[in-house]
Parts: sequence; structure tokens; C-alpha cells
Amino acid sequence: MRRRSMTALILLVVLAATVPSSLWAQQKTTLSVVWFNDANESDVFMKTMADYQTSHPNVVLDMQVIPFKDYENKLKLMIAGGNPPDVVRITNNQVAMFVDQLEPLTGKTFDTLAKNYYSSSLALARDEAGRLVAMPTEATANGMIVNKTLFANAGIDVAKLSQTWTWDQWVEAMKKVLKANPKAKYGITVDFSPHRFSTFMFEAGGRFLTNDGKAMNFNTPENLDALNFFKMLHDDGLAPASVWMGSENPQELFSAGLVACHVGGSWLINAYNATIKDFEWAAVRMPKRKINSSVPGGKFVGTFKTSAHKKEALDLIAAFSDKSHNEQYCKDTFNLSARSDAAITYSARNADFAVFAADLAATPAYTAEDWKSPDLNKIYSYIREQVVEGLLGKQTMAQTAINIQTKGNTYFGK
Amino acid sequence: MAPRKRTHGTFEQTAAPLLFLTPNLLIFLIFIILPAVLGLRMSLYDWSILSGTGFVGFKNFQKLLSDAMFWKTLANTFVYVIFVVPLLVVFALGLALLLSKEGKGMGLFRAFYYLPTMLSLIIVGIAWRWILGFDLGIFNYILKLLGQKPVSWLTNGAMANASLIMVTIWTRVGYFMMMFIGGLQAIPSTYYEAAEIDGATKWIVLRRITLPLLRPMILVVVVLSTIEAFKSYELIYVMTQGGPGSSTKFLVQYIYQVAFEEDRLGYGAAMSVVLLAVIGLFTTVQFIAQKNEYTNE
Amino acid sequence: MNKALRYGLLALFSCVFLFPIFWVIISSLKPQSELFTYPLTILPRNPTIANYITAFASGDFITYFKNSVFVAVVATLITITINVMAGYALSKFYFKGRDFIFYMMIGTLMIPLQAIMVPIFLLLKNLGLLNSLWGVIIPPAATPTGVFLARQYIQTIPDSFIEAARIDGAKEFLIFRKIIVPLAKPIIATIAIFSFMWRWNDFLWPFIVISAKRKMTLQLALANFVGQYQINWANLLAMTVVTMIPMIVVFIVLQKYFVTGLTAGGVKA
Repeated sequence: MRRRSMTALILLVVLAATVPSSLWAQQKTTLSVVWFNDANESDVFMKTMADYQTSHPNVVLDMQVIPFKDYENKLKLMIAGGNPPDVVRITNNQVAMFVDQLEPLTGKTFDTLAKNYYSSSLALARDEAGRLVAMPTEATANGMIVNKTLFANAGIDVAKLSQTWTWDQWVEAMKKVLKANPKAKYGITVDFSPHRFSTFMFEAGGRFLTNDGKAMNFNTPENLDALNFFKMLHDDGLAPASVWMGSENPQELFSAGLVACHVGGSWLINAYNATIKDFEWAAVRMPKRKINSSVPGGKFVGTFKTSAHKKEALDLIAAFSDKSHNEQYCKDTFNLSARSDAAITYSARNADFAVFAADLAATPAYTAEDWKSPDLNKIYSYIREQVVEGLLGKQTMAQTAINIQTKGNTYFGK
Repeated sequence: MAPRKRTHGTFEQTAAPLLFLTPNLLIFLIFIILPAVLGLRMSLYDWSILSGTGFVGFKNFQKLLSDAMFWKTLANTFVYVIFVVPLLVVFALGLALLLSKEGKGMGLFRAFYYLPTMLSLIIVGIAWRWILGFDLGIFNYILKLLGQKPVSWLTNGAMANASLIMVTIWTRVGYFMMMFIGGLQAIPSTYYEAAEIDGATKWIVLRRITLPLLRPMILVVVVLSTIEAFKSYELIYVMTQGGPGSSTKFLVQYIYQVAFEEDRLGYGAAMSVVLLAVIGLFTTVQFIAQKNEYTNE
Repeated sequence: MNKALRYGLLALFSCVFLFPIFWVIISSLKPQSELFTYPLTILPRNPTIANYITAFASGDFITYFKNSVFVAVVATLITITINVMAGYALSKFYFKGRDFIFYMMIGTLMIPLQAIMVPIFLLLKNLGLLNSLWGVIIPPAATPTGVFLARQYIQTIPDSFIEAARIDGAKEFLIFRKIIVPLAKPIIATIAIFSFMWRWNDFLWPFIVISAKRKMTLQLALANFVGQYQINWANLLAMTVVTMIPMIVVFIVLQKYFVTGLTAGGVKA
């Protein structure tokens, strides 16, 4: 027996000595990267970070894609199970949701990086103590895209008109456009989302929360004005019932040439560039209510406090957020960059990007403050449901406002 | 080899059933029963993924009583079940009666009606949502070509519920039809021959011979379809997301929303317990009703 | 009913019934830009298989297909084995708690999976089954419906066959293998068709267990085409049509066993 163990020991030592020392030093770390796709963002990310992989051979990126409709549920499952992803792509709503679980991005590297990012983008990713918990990647802005051909048929130069128009002027223009285009059925379609609806709210001078963000301030005359205007659009047939009160997709309606205007966001540039061939379209400034406002949003990348490989993840995130990587990613995914120093010449539609950027610049900062509240995000579905109840006529919009105010406050009051 | 001394009660015989049962039972206990018990336990807690847990006893159940949305979704689910189950049974049985005899092309027809069952519910939901779209859906387009007004398939509360019922039946009728065909083919032809000799009409044959002999299978179909209908989520959510508003919001969707979006897993678990009790009640009633009918024979 | 009339009605009804599937297939041959033009087109103006090429070219499709096949086939093999064994145990033997176990199994059909997602996830993580195809294969293999069908069917096998074999001194497992299994072929085929279908179409289990791209199944991949703002129709439609094909093949192959399998167990439920 003794002889056997002796031999084994000698063999082991010899084996160890023959293994090159570099292998001891370089143990491979596999980073789990979780992404969701609208088009092919996960592939673009891998392509963008290919050079990082080459220069860091001991880091392996394991790309995991989760369907968007169940994205948060899966993330919550992973967190509950104690194995959250190392690197995760999240929307601004989701930053608010996971704000306590995300690892704060502190230190010199991130402080320096942050200097070159839009403050509204950064504001969406700060926790209560003001620390950054995720790096912005793309910035999105809500806005309006119009079917130029339909306007042209009515003899309206929409590019000129939209530079200064108000919602009342918009309604007037719609009457002419719909009259001149029998094929077009609707004047406007809005994405089925409280985030998009809030554009009307903010433009009417209202907001969700109080200035200190600690309670709901929804039941106000300004918000009621926005809710009633939204109802009027539907009642008068300017907006289709099938989007907010059905399941049709506004993008599909717009692409079919049935709607003159689409209130969506900057991500539409990519989609429409690929699919619309039958008519001319362009991004235009939103009409003004009381003020001009867009709603900031974006995608962010971060790591969790309980992630297994935080150090390597932070390193990857920092590299992804530098000028060249961010520019390449945004250019290839056809999105606005969240970096203020990004100089991207897109392969097409540069003018449209400029319009969204201009709308974003005019947006008050409190829009970001509102939307980054985790408690507000908990009643996201509730808000949407209540607005629909009002649109259906099952309750007055005044009641909708009261209900949302009350429900929201149950979370703030907790 | 000497013949066995006993044929009953040997160790092998007592152990055999347990050995046969064990693999299935083991997987079952570990992966279904255990999580179910844990889920049951969760209903007594305030359980948040993001901010921890705390024991609250029966408070979740008390909250249920005054939760308007809970009662609304329960009512929506009830209405759905009450329409879907009888319609499914009637249509599946009807198709089975037409297709139970062997004959030219019967296999092909059966395959046709079984085809929708083979699609995943997500695909069915997405496809039908598109087909029933108000402006871009093919149904309204065909109606337009025929000079009719478009129908608000999914944009009107009552119509949306009707559409969901229709699509559910379209998806599931083939599955239950096959079960009925099996039941029908098991009825010995001697019964039918005797009835024919006695000069019985088709209707009497159906009422007096076929249906009574088919009762056990009818029970199976009713029970399985009831359970399925109560648990409906994927198809509904993909087609309407519970809308317009909350007119097609069913209980499992609400449980999902409360548990994950509002991060209140304990409360969601409590609702699941109530759902389980409701389904169990329905099923037991159905079994008992069937038993009583049988004894009256 | 007049035979011609009956066939005519069936054919007409079938056409109407199958229209949605026809619509999906025909739309998969349209280029994306033609899908949402107004007025709608029924037949494609410029039929193309470009969608199929894109769906296949992504390379990952082969991986998803392989995973789906692996899961469906292996799970079905496991399911028919353990379900039939369990069905045999619950129908031909008498032991304490037998009926209780059976009703408990049926009872669990009533639990919506969504309600126990979190405990299941925690359990699978602790067992190391996350992101593994085995995590998708093993847990759902103990299907209550399969056990139910097997039990019903095996009940109709005459006890005398089994008794005779026992008197001849056969071991229990031999009896199972040489007598029960051959006689139960129809129900085995039935459970196989159902199991293949359930596993092939399953979304929820793979969703809970898997996030790694190389382990995704076809259904997960299909769900990924539904993005935050839009649906990638071109890929979705093509992949849907392709996903339907194995199901149809399995059904056609096992069809003749299907009906006989349900026959014997049917009336005596």
C-alpha cells in the first residue's frame, strides 16, 4: 500500500511540474450574459466585444437570451434561486425594479466614464443614495413618426408644420389628412404602454410623483387634461380602438399605411428602416400641449450584488461603455447612444435621430425621476388597465385618476 | 427447477408493485409534491423575492376576501369554464360520432381535426390574435369583401371572451374527439345490431345505447377539460393580455401578476390554494354526479 | 346520413377549420413587407422562401432542433417506461394506499405550474439541473395523465394471464416484460404520441430551467421572436411551420395504434 501511494505522489508531482505555469495563472472565468432581443442586439453585443474576448482569453462570454415577455420573471427566478446573471441588459423600468439588487458602479473608472453620458440617462440608473447602479448603453426618447406621403396628399408640408405645432393644430391637420386619404383610417396610434402615454401627461404639465418622489401626485388637473384628451382621440375615431382596447400592434398598423402618426420612440427608426417601403416617413417634433416634452428611456447594462463573477463583470461593463465600443454597438443596433460625445454616422436616417435628440434635450429632468421609481413600476399594469377602463367608458377619467393615485400610494405608504 | 410453493404473498409479489411504482412516484414526489407543499407554505408568508419574507399566518387569505380584482378574475374564469366545457364535450362528441367508423379518408379527417392540438398554445395565440385583428386581421378583411361590417373580435369585452372560447374549442376539440372515438369504438357492435333488428331509430340508439355506454369517457373528458380551463393562462395572455382592460383576465394571470410583477409571492400562493380548492370541488362534484347516475341504471 | 352529404359536410367544415393553419403556412411564404400591407393579400404576391432561409441560416436553428428532439424523444422513452410500470402497479396489485396514491397523482393535475414556479426553480438549482436538458426531461416525465391511461387500459387485461404465469413460476418482472408490455402496445403508442406532443410543445418547463442559448428548445426560440416592441414575423412564421412537421410525422406513424389504444380503456373508466 505504501509503495502505491508513494508512486501516486511522485506521479502527481511530475504531472504538476510538466504543466506550463501559464495554465495555473489563467483559470477560465465564464461570465453569464443575459440579453433580450428586439432585432439582433445579442449578436451585435458579441460582435462588438469580440476584441475584448481576444485580449482577455481567460474570460468566456456565455450569451443567454430570454424572451422579452417573460424577461423580468426569469430574472426574478434567477435571483430567488441565488444565481443571477453576471452581466444583464435591462430597460429603465427594470433598473427601477432591481435597484436594490444591482451592484453600484463606483470607483474611478466608472466616475470617469459617467462624465461623458447624458445626465437624463444616468438619472434613470441612480439609486436613492445617488449611486449609479447600471451603465446606460442606448438612450431612447419617445416621439412621433409620421407618414409623410399622407400629409403630402393633403398638401401639408409636415416637416415645416411640425417644428412649432400644438396639439390643437395637430387635430386640425388630421382632419385634412384623413379627408384627403380615404385609405388611411386613423390619425394617431400610441403604443399600448403607460410609458408612452406619459408623454401626453408630461406635455400637459403633469407628472406621476411629488417633487421629493415619496408619494403619488397623479390626481391633478393637468393629468386629467391629458387623460381626457387621450379619451377624446379614441372617441372621435382619431385613434384605433384595437390597440389600447384590443391586441393589435401599432407598428403593424402604421406600416400598413393605415395611420398618419405613430407615437412610439427612437427604436422605431431601426424597425421602419427595414420594413417600410411603400411610403415616405420621418420623425417629427411632438406637438406641444402646455410644454414640449419627450420621455427618456433606454437600455442599461449591469451586474448583481450576488453575481458569481462581479469583478470580471464590472471590467467587461466598463470596457463595453467606452467610446468606441458604445459607438459601434449603437451604430449597429441603430439606436441613439447615451453618450453625449458619441459621434455616430448611421448608415441611414441621420436626420430622424437628430429630431429625437432635440426632443430629448427639451425634456424636463423630473420625467426621469418619476420613471425610475420602483414603486411606480410595481403598478405599471394597473395604470394601463385603469386607463383602458376609462377609455371603454366603464368609469370616468376622473375616477381613473383617483384609482391610480390611491393604488400607488399603498406602495409608497408601506 | 422445483415449482414455487406459493403464488400469493411472496416477498417478490409484495415488493413488485412498489418497485414498479417507485420511479414514477419518486419523480412525482420530488418535483411536484414537494414544490406544491413549499408553495402551500408560502401562502402563510409575506414573500418577496427582492425584499425578504415574514410569517403572516392567514392574513393573505383574509386579504383575498376584500380583493375586488381576485373576485373579478375568479368570476371571469368561471364564465369561461362554464361555456368551454359543455361546448367542447358537444363538439368533440359530435365529431367523434361522425368519424368513429372506419372508412375511406376517415384517418385523414381525424388528422385534420387533431392538427390544431399539435400546435403550441403560444403559436395558436399569436396566430389567432393576428387573424382576429380589427384592422389587419384576415377575418374582418373577408367580412369586408363580403360587404359586411368588421367585428370587434378582441376589442369588445364580451366579444373577446367569446373569441377566446371559440379559439379554445378550436385548439382542443381534436384532442377530446380522439378520446371519444376510442370510447365509441369500444362499444360492441352487437348492441347496435340488436337495436337495428328491433327497428330503433338513430336518435333512440344514440340516447339509449351510445350515450349511456359512453358515460365514463364523458366524465373523463369533462373532468380533464374543466381542470384545463381553470388553469388557462398562456393562450389567453398571448391573445388578449387580459384585455380589453381586465375583461378577459383570468385567475392564473392575476396570480402571475401579483406574484411576479407586484413581488408578492405569498399572496399569489394563497390565491393558488383557493384555485386548487375550487377545481377540487368542481371535480369531486362531477365524480359524485357520475357515480349517482350509474347506480340509477 | 347520406354518405355523400356526410363527406361533403366534413370536407367543408375541415376547410373552414383548417383555415388558420393554412393562413400561417401561406403567410410564411410572404416577404415581411407584404405581411402588413393594406389591403391584405391572401395568396402571396411574391412568394418566397427567404424567411425559411433566414431562419435556418442563423445556425442556431439546428441546435434548437436537436435539443427539442433530444428532450422529446428521451422524455417519451422515460415516460412510457415509468408510466406503464406505475399503471400496472396501480391496477393489478392490491396494497394499502394504492387508491390514495392514484387520486393524489390525478389531483396534482389541478395545480397550475405557474403557482409553484419559484419552489421548482429553487429545487432544480439545488439539484444542479438548471440549464441542463435533463432538468427539462426528468421532472415532467411522471405524467399523471399517462399513468391514468395506462391504468385504465391494463385493467382490461385478464387477471388469468398473470395468474397462470405466476403458477408457472415466472418472476414478476418477466411477467411484466413478456405479458403486460406486448398486450399494452396500443396504450404505449398512445402515451408516446401524447408525451411527444407535450414535450415538443412545452414552453413553461424549458423557460424555468434554461437560459443558455445552446440549450434552448424550439419553443423557447420561437418565444424569443416576440420582442419588446415588435414581433419578428418572418422568422416566427417560418420556424412555426418547420416546428409543426415532426409532430405531424409522429402522429401519422403512430396513428393506427392511437385509436385502438384508447378503445380498450375507454368504456371502463
